[in-house]
Amino acid sequence: MRRGVGLAAFDRQEQSKRSFAALSSELSRAQIDDLHSQLAHFRTALAHFATTHRESIKNDPTFRHAFQQMCASIGVDPLAGPRKGGWWAELLGLGDWQYELGVQVVDVCVSTREQNGGLIALSELLRFVSKLRGVSGGEITEEDIVRSIKTLHPLGTGYQIVEVDGRKMVRSIVKSLDDDQTTILVIAQEGGGRVVEDQLIRRKGWTRDRARAALENMLLRDGLCWLDEQDERSGRSYWVFSAMQWDV
Amino acid sequence: MSLSTYTTTSGFLLPSIHSAPPFFTEQPNPTTQATATAQWSRLILAYARHKKLFILRVEDVETSGSDWDEILRNTRINRKILPGYLSNIMEAMVAQNLAVYEPVKQTRSVLVYWRLPEEWAEVLYDWVISTGQLNTILTFYDITDPPLESLLTGIPISLLRKAISILSKTGRSQTIAIADGEGVRFLARSK
Repeated sequence: MRRGVGLAAFDRQEQSKRSFAALSSELSRAQIDDLHSQLAHFRTALAHFATTHRESIKNDPTFRHAFQQMCASIGVDPLAGPRKGGWWAELLGLGDWQYELGVQVVDVCVSTREQNGGLIALSELLRFVSKLRGVSGGEITEEDIVRSIKTLHPLGTGYQIVEVDGRKMVRSIVKSLDDDQTTILVIAQEGGGRVVEDQLIRRKGWTRDRARAALENMLLRDGLCWLDEQDERSGRSYWVFSAMQWDV
Repeated sequence: MSLSTYTTTSGFLLPSIHSAPPFFTEQPNPTTQATATAQWSRLILAYARHKKLFILRVEDVETSGSDWDEILRNTRINRKILPGYLSNIMEAMVAQNLAVYEPVKQTRSVLVYWRLPEEWAEVLYDWVISTGQLNTILTFYDITDPPLESLLTGIPISLLRKAISILSKTGRSQTIAIADGEGVRFLARSK
């Protein structure tokens, strides 16, 4: 029998195409329905979890740690979501809790800055924040502080955790430059990042001791600049990386 | 002055930090230095891979004209890494198993691992299979200097030995004494 040559073959082809299309859309609709019901199920379970455990998560650091580890291991960020804070965070109230802690961290960092130059040990910060929260605030851990600092990141506060000799410290120096450092930054920006003692002495009338102390502090204490010992003109120059122009 | 990446005559793309003058000085601030060491290690490994270099010596920076000039020096800003600094970076790389001292018991020359010995073992085994030399007895020279240039051309003998011994652990290689030294036979992967 000859097949698929006459005009009727076109009709046949069209018809089978239509049937397949109908079948495939039916299949995908079934799949979508299935997914919807799974998602609804998940939401209910989550809401249930949130209402049962919200208080434990907020007040018990061990439970909170376990919860956060669970979230990390399944690749869920309890603070992430399409809406502000995310629906997961809303259910748990964890977002607000975390941001509140963030504000307290900032409070402590700012108020202790005069003493410590914007660098504070994490353990010390924890002690201050705990004091600020009082007994009713529930216990918090270093891990909670670290997480809160991370949530501050999108605000561009420049808060970061550094390790000095194995000891974790929080630095908020970016916004707490003293006058001498600001002067140095300005000069650095003019010279593409490079600063030398003589510039500060000549242009700002500083004594050599003052110039050296300010530069060495930025270098050694703050890690704000890098040293160049091969400078052709002065032998020793300082380079403020944040003042250099980087084409990336 | 702005810092940008730069393509060397050998076609290697230098990162922008390489045009920053202080990159060539060891940093007294340990945090800063950790960044610098990480950058240098990465640069050294990438360049070694690019030019298929295996051995880095402190001398390479003491005299110009070495294979490593393009990264150890930056003539555009008149800087070069100082020998003491290079030696410390080499030490850090050894500590992280990114390199080993070669020969052992000295600290002025390293063999850089732009592929780990385990990775070299697989490269070696793949080469043996693709050139149909399973069960054939090969001298080290056959491997380091094959008639048709391979990924293994020029591989230092010490590294080759490591790769062979890794393969021997899974029964894929056998060292054999032959008339003029040592030979090796590669065997099919046992099921």
